[in-house]
Amino acid sequence: MRKAIASIFLVVAVQILVVGQAQQAPPVVLKDLTGRTVRIDAFKGKVVMLNFWATWCPPCRAEMPGLIKWQREFQEKGLQVVGITYPPTKVQDVRQFTRRIKVNYPILLGSKETKALFDSSEIMPVTIIIDRNGMVKDRIEGIILPEEFEQKVKPLLN
Amino acid sequence: MTKRVSSLGLIAILLVFTAASALAATKTTTIHVKGMHCKMCSASVTKALKAVDGVQNVDVSWEKGTAIVDYDDQKVTEERLREVVNSTGFQVVDEKTE
Repeated sequence: MRKAIASIFLVVAVQILVVGQAQQAPPVVLKDLTGRTVRIDAFKGKVVMLNFWATWCPPCRAEMPGLIKWQREFQEKGLQVVGITYPPTKVQDVRQFTRRIKVNYPILLGSKETKALFDSSEIMPVTIIIDRNGMVKDRIEGIILPEEFEQKVKPLLN
Repeated sequence: MTKRVSSLGLIAILLVFTAASALAATKTTTIHVKGMHCKMCSASVTKALKAVDGVQNVDVSWEKGTAIVDYDDQKVTEERLREVVNSTGFQVVDEKTE
């Protein structure tokens, strides 16, 4: 009987631990376009929209003006958009494109492995929503619709 | 009895008219889309089209470069659907060009 109770306790404890680990954003360290090292967990305390994108991906490029707008409008409320590139990446193309559309948030150079830490799908773009405590709250596949921003991001900014 | 028959007849006529108008509102269009090269691309187009009020069914093929859309023409126009596809970063063309 004691053994059974202990087993149940162990299973529940492991499940709590696993769920907890699954929700915590993995500790990712990447380089930005200037070569500086940036830790994702340095944004703790803010609501982070981790946007995986590529210059060769038309929907990724199409949604970026929206991300720029949200970053501008909700920066003071604690929103931090972070762009992470997906290969193949030509850094020069990334620089030119982000300069041209006046991106106002950090762009980090990622890899397939970086994306795999957050998302197992083949979909691009994908945006991971991380709350102020560094917990992964949601993921949005494809171009973010305004109603998705309203439902999934805005409540975290309150 | 006669009244009952007349009422049933009237209801039947109304139902036929309602069904006919509902059917008339549903249209299907094939939009040719340039620039889709993988499954990821078709997923974005599908999502954007499905979010449009009046769109009933969407079948996007990146291999064929098409988006087949069933829509209620009382709620949305084909022109609007083409604008939505263009907003995803791809380009609507008159016919398949690649």
